[in-house]
Amino acid sequence: MATVTLNQAQKTYPNGFKAIHGIDLKIEDGEFTVLVGPSGCGKSTLLRMIAGLESISDGEISIDDKVVNKIAPADRDIAMVFQNYALYPHMNNYDNMAYGLKNRGFSKAEIDTKVREAARILQLDDHLERKPRQLSGGQRQRVAMGRAIVRQPKVFLFDEPLSNLDAKLRVDMRLEIKNLQQRLGITSVYVTHDQVEAMTLADRLIVMNGGIAEQIGSPIDIYEKPASQFVAGFIGSPAMNFLKGKVSDDKKHVTVGDGVMLDLDHDVEAGREVTVGIRPEHLDLLQDGKGRINAPVRMVESLGAETLVYLDFGANADNVTLRLQGTHQFAKGDQLSLSVPANKIHLFDIDSGKRL
Amino acid sequence: MYQSKWRIFTNHTILVLGALFMILPVWIAFASSTHTREYVFQNGLQFWPGGEFFSNYGAILFDAEATKGRVTALEMLFNSMVLGLGFAIGKVIISMMAAYAIVYFRFKLAVPLFWIIFSTLLLPLEVRIVPSYEVVADLGLLNSYTGLILPLIASATGTFFFRQFYRSVPDELLEAARLDGAGPIRFFIDILVPLSVTMIAAIFIIMFVVGWNQYLWPLLMTTDDQLYTIVIGIKQVYNSLYEGGQIPQFPKAFALTIMATIPPVLVVVIFQRMFVKGLVETEK
Repeated sequence: MATVTLNQAQKTYPNGFKAIHGIDLKIEDGEFTVLVGPSGCGKSTLLRMIAGLESISDGEISIDDKVVNKIAPADRDIAMVFQNYALYPHMNNYDNMAYGLKNRGFSKAEIDTKVREAARILQLDDHLERKPRQLSGGQRQRVAMGRAIVRQPKVFLFDEPLSNLDAKLRVDMRLEIKNLQQRLGITSVYVTHDQVEAMTLADRLIVMNGGIAEQIGSPIDIYEKPASQFVAGFIGSPAMNFLKGKVSDDKKHVTVGDGVMLDLDHDVEAGREVTVGIRPEHLDLLQDGKGRINAPVRMVESLGAETLVYLDFGANADNVTLRLQGTHQFAKGDQLSLSVPANKIHLFDIDSGKRL
Repeated sequence: MYQSKWRIFTNHTILVLGALFMILPVWIAFASSTHTREYVFQNGLQFWPGGEFFSNYGAILFDAEATKGRVTALEMLFNSMVLGLGFAIGKVIISMMAAYAIVYFRFKLAVPLFWIIFSTLLLPLEVRIVPSYEVVADLGLLNSYTGLILPLIASATGTFFFRQFYRSVPDELLEAARLDGAGPIRFFIDILVPLSVTMIAAIFIIMFVVGWNQYLWPLLMTTDDQLYTIVIGIKQVYNSLYEGGQIPQFPKAFALTIMATIPPVLVVVIFQRMFVKGLVETEK
């Protein structure tokens, strides 16, 4: 049971590259925190700083109010699950799980109890005598998790643990990880670039970009009130549509594209140039052709349960995506009429990208 | 892939001819070693074995007189074995540790040091044999196993191979081991050494054969017959072939040659299996 506190944690590499620009964060006891962001955003670096595999250039990281900056990884009482499993290939699965306990001087009997208990939880009982290479990817990942849980650490760290698995297994393991974490109640930090994983697993989500935390909050908060254009574009699939717009003189409307007026429910000064964000799922298709937005279909992707329609929105917008439930028959060039509720419109500053 | 009969036939013919080309001289040496010296002297090299196998080989192995020295072939085999094993094991251990330091520890001179080690590959033993002799002599190690083995134990080749291998080991293994509380020595012994088994076998094979075949070095370092290796012994027997107006000892010289080839062949055969097994089993 532990809390993790980051106080202006920074990382500068010897070559001068600043990977982490000072992050403040308090992870509560038993909380499942997910670090998400595009590659190179520093999320793995931050995780490795908590693990002790990367030194901390400035600021402090504490586990349970004890500053761990100078403490060796093994003595921080954490366990980590790696993307490529990092199992010891020459040891069988039992020894893989037992190795950390052996090094910590546990007795044979204790080790046996703990390993068998972990194996039972992870349904690996029948595979303990085998070597990692004789297991499937999902089973290997379970052994890697077993290696983490036998030690009953204060904090679990996951570094993109599901990226090497195929799509179906990823969903199964995602549920399993969530289940396990809730059952054991161990404080966890999880790194991923997959926003579905991030949304489903997180108690709290940290969206990172360029070494800073763009937004910290619950997944739903972040989805509903993205703090910046970056977060808005990163969380949500398909990504949010962005259009250039200008707030009307009466502040009640915003003009986008070729003079399309959308209702507004924001407090923004009149005449301001803004970026308008609309999620594909918040565009409503109107059958009567009386919507504010009228655009021809450029392409349709039918996924069965839902249909993605790409609309041609005039010269000064790239692409507008529309996400509809169920199947729809549209042909290229069909005119669609759409509307969007005022409270589903997001406005961002055109320069800083900050939410307005 | 479909192969025509002709193609299979041609391939196998080339293979069989190549194999015969390699094996025939050895076979003739073996066959000739099983006749009396008079018979070989009169009739030349023999293709079929004769009846003197036990007497010739027995004499060589246990009778110092037969090898024209004061040591038997058995003693020389023992010396060669000590040299070969010491040479190979020492090189494996030293180069593993050197490569470990170079790859896993960040110290300032790691890269220049590696290249200095690597550049010694350009200096074969023969080039530096005089200063090496001087050092061994000054240390009072002439005519000793230590003097034979120790100066040759550093290996640039081995260090290079182990370095390349260690660099291919995923960093996550080291990190996982660090989190599991393994220090540098534990990581080396528990993780790296078991992972390197195939590399160790490969380097061991190569180095054992190289050590076994050393000629110039033991010739210079030893003046005492008791330390002669079998390679030197062969030379000695051939040297004395025509001495004293006797009938040349061709069969016994051949017998000694055959015996000198057996241990390296055995080492290769035994470790090759392990080597191949390791290659088949090792998978990330």
